[in-house]
Amino acid sequence: MSGFLLEMRGIAKSFSGVKALDGIDLRVRPGECVGLCGENGAGKSTMMKVLSAVYPYGTWNGTILWNGAELRAASIRETEDAGIVIIHQELMLIPQLSVAENIFLGREPRTRGGLIDFDRMYVESAKLMAELRMTHINVAMPVANYAGGEQQLIEIAKALSKNAKLLILDEPTSSLTKREIAILLRLVKDLKAKGVACVYISHKLEEIEEIADTVTVIRDGRFIGEAPMRDITTGDIIRMMVGRDMSNLFPREEHPIGDVVFEAIGITCLDPDNRARKRVDNVSFSLRKGEILGIAGLVGAGRTELVSALFGAYRGPHSGEVRLDGKRIQVRSPREAVGQGICMVPEDRKAHGIVPGLGVGHNITLSVLDEFTSAGLIDENREFSDIGAAIQRLRIKTASPLLAISNLSGGNQQKAVISKMLAANPRVLILDEPTRGVDVGAKYEIYKLMFALVREGLSIIMVSSELSEVLGISDRVLVIGEGELRGDFINDETLTQERILAAAITPALPTQQRQAASDGLAPSIH
Amino acid sequence: MTETTSIAPSPADVAAADADQRRTMRAERIKTLFARNKILALVVAIAIIWALFTWLTQGDFLTARNLSNLLRQMAITGMLASGMVFIIISGEIDLSVGSLLGLLGGLAAILDVNFHVPLWINIPVVMAIGALVGLFNGYWVAYLRIPSFIVTLAGMLAFRGVLLGITGGVTIAPVSAPLVAVAQSYLPDIAGYALGVMVFAALAVAALRGRAKRAQYGLPVPALSSDLVKLGVAAVVIAGFFGILDAYRGVPLPVLIVLVLLGAFTIMARRTVFGRRIYAVGGNLEATRLSGVNVQGVKLAVFGLMGAMAALAGIATTARLAAASPSAGTGAELDCIAACIIGGTSMRGGSGTVFGALIGALIISTLDNGMSMLGVDTFWQMIVKGTILLLAVWLDVATSPKR
Repeated sequence: MSGFLLEMRGIAKSFSGVKALDGIDLRVRPGECVGLCGENGAGKSTMMKVLSAVYPYGTWNGTILWNGAELRAASIRETEDAGIVIIHQELMLIPQLSVAENIFLGREPRTRGGLIDFDRMYVESAKLMAELRMTHINVAMPVANYAGGEQQLIEIAKALSKNAKLLILDEPTSSLTKREIAILLRLVKDLKAKGVACVYISHKLEEIEEIADTVTVIRDGRFIGEAPMRDITTGDIIRMMVGRDMSNLFPREEHPIGDVVFEAIGITCLDPDNRARKRVDNVSFSLRKGEILGIAGLVGAGRTELVSALFGAYRGPHSGEVRLDGKRIQVRSPREAVGQGICMVPEDRKAHGIVPGLGVGHNITLSVLDEFTSAGLIDENREFSDIGAAIQRLRIKTASPLLAISNLSGGNQQKAVISKMLAANPRVLILDEPTRGVDVGAKYEIYKLMFALVREGLSIIMVSSELSEVLGISDRVLVIGEGELRGDFINDETLTQERILAAAITPALPTQQRQAASDGLAPSIH
Repeated sequence: MTETTSIAPSPADVAAADADQRRTMRAERIKTLFARNKILALVVAIAIIWALFTWLTQGDFLTARNLSNLLRQMAITGMLASGMVFIIISGEIDLSVGSLLGLLGGLAAILDVNFHVPLWINIPVVMAIGALVGLFNGYWVAYLRIPSFIVTLAGMLAFRGVLLGITGGVTIAPVSAPLVAVAQSYLPDIAGYALGVMVFAALAVAALRGRAKRAQYGLPVPALSSDLVKLGVAAVVIAGFFGILDAYRGVPLPVLIVLVLLGAFTIMARRTVFGRRIYAVGGNLEATRLSGVNVQGVKLAVFGLMGAMAALAGIATTARLAAASPSAGTGAELDCIAACIIGGTSMRGGSGTVFGALIGALIISTLDNGMSMLGVDTFWQMIVKGTILLLAVWLDVATSPKR
């Protein structure tokens, strides 16, 4: 026997011809914690879905050995029976049910009469809580009474009640406060001592550093390397995560940059579900005329929340000041923002960008319909000539302007959504992940358009998870990490993906100085 | 581990797969044909139902007198449905319109009988109050974020209660002659024919302009013959419609009102900013909000419009019965919702037409009228209407292009 609890060998998985995973190995010893690292979209979550049989055996290639024997699970149920339990990024608890009911959901102990044996359920749950040093949790209370961090621990208790031998934690701390994270990490260490192995996925390398015994790095669906944590530094991990070559995908064009037109001062957004947590923490920055400002950071860092707040679209409590031309402006709703010349192309195109039943043209004119009316009626001639111009300018490929937008490809839908916001004549255009789900050709055209726009005097804020895109397009780069502004860089030759990543995961002062000194990667904070 | 997946398929398998594919494609084609010509399908359905009733009643159904009555019955459901269709397109529902119809009809009767308010004041006042009540509903839905089902369920109970309170639970009668005339007068024959010619001319102009426009924007233009056939069918239907009505007493005033609503609301839906936004709000509320549209204002206005339509229907009901009964309009909300759904309005929001909703109202009124003529028991009438509603929605779902 190899001595491994789990061995995944050469795992490969494609989605409609696109390789998401291409020969990845992952090995876990009993009682060991393996940190799985990779950039956004590297394939970490896909890998875990293969392991837990969300994608059943046969839909991927490669071999999984569990306790030395091949595992061919057809469903999550089978992997759970084997002792592999996954804890998802989003919590899967039912808030109205009690802690005990959640723990035993689907496996409720029964009395002889066939009713739920609540006494046994409560006793067993309380025993479990005591084992996890969570005696302050009342197992008869609804889950909703507990905060996000405690819910995460309850989720782990639920996993352990299924006799888990291997726990998969997928970004478990992305919605927790710092204190809650500390408790979670202590719990994972306790579990290791009890012989429960775990795979820990996190963007936060300081957490990996603290609890992982071994680190496995993947990039673009490929296996990059595996090493004991004691032999490597977080700097090594970052280099392994990034190390892809940059091809010339970015049509950079010189353009003049003018004076400051837009300022955000002290923007703070609270999590609507967990008000103790700040999604955006006192972020201030300015934007110049004709400038492309890239906002980088890891998924969940608070970038989308920040730009939503600037556009008046953030749903939770938030504060801060927005200035245009040095004058304070009110942006309490997207309507007010559009009226003042601030427009946003949202991240989630399907949910927030398009109106699927309407035609391409009618989507484009949605925000400015008023301008086409005469005597109360829409002047279709004027509307269609404007639509025609927009379709030509952005080279939107559509059979007709009346075709429902849902029939278009992702790239063409995105161009239509951008057209919609351009129709409103913005001065500041916010693009949140403008090239997500967009093919290479359309990406290139969107970049071209961005440069054309800034040369006309528009200012652009671009949120992007692709570091190569941020470096290839932006004039200046803001780095956001855990809601804080962690870097404000001029994008010159000295700015690298490593520096941005290092800034993103390095907490603001004072730890930042220590970290920067030890890595030799000093982010310059203006 | 080696995978053994490269087994060549046998010719028999290929042939079977081929046949399977052809069968699927044929089914798809029927589906798209149906989905594209939904309105035509509804018209065909009406023709079949009418033929059936004519046969069962030995021709009594298809007399000018009965059809005139049928259309007058349909007019009230039609007024409600032409407001309701926009509520449903915007992704909401209004259960309070039956009670609101009763309340506002009662109010019109009280103003008329007890206070002798002249008609030209009475109608605008009642419609304004209707719009205000609608706006009240809309405010709770749009600004206080209470689901419309709840808000209007509350209204359904409360408005009926107010009606019982102000009428003391007794019928208010008799209303004045001018008010009765709202529902019981007819256009002179000559005006009816003129109206028919005007409607046809409007349709023809719209069709030709539409062709020119499609050509101008480089869209595929359907063959001229198909448009001419459509216009020909329209001419026959219009001639038949006005011919039959004029053969009895002329176009009833409520039917004229519904025709005007049909024209005005169709233009509103297609050619005004407000109309376009109703579809956008129902299609994707968030995307519309993030485009800088005042989505709450749109919802508020849609409910206001519904209130005004409930007022109109209430006045027409009081006029038709020459009295206001405290039970007037009970269940009318369900009839008009059913009319919208049968007429192809999607409960998911974002799609539907006024014309479809009115055809739906016509189908429901036809069933009521025809089965009553046959002396079918009320319980059977309810079972049949329920079945038709279910079948209509099933047909819609089954032929919907998405899955």
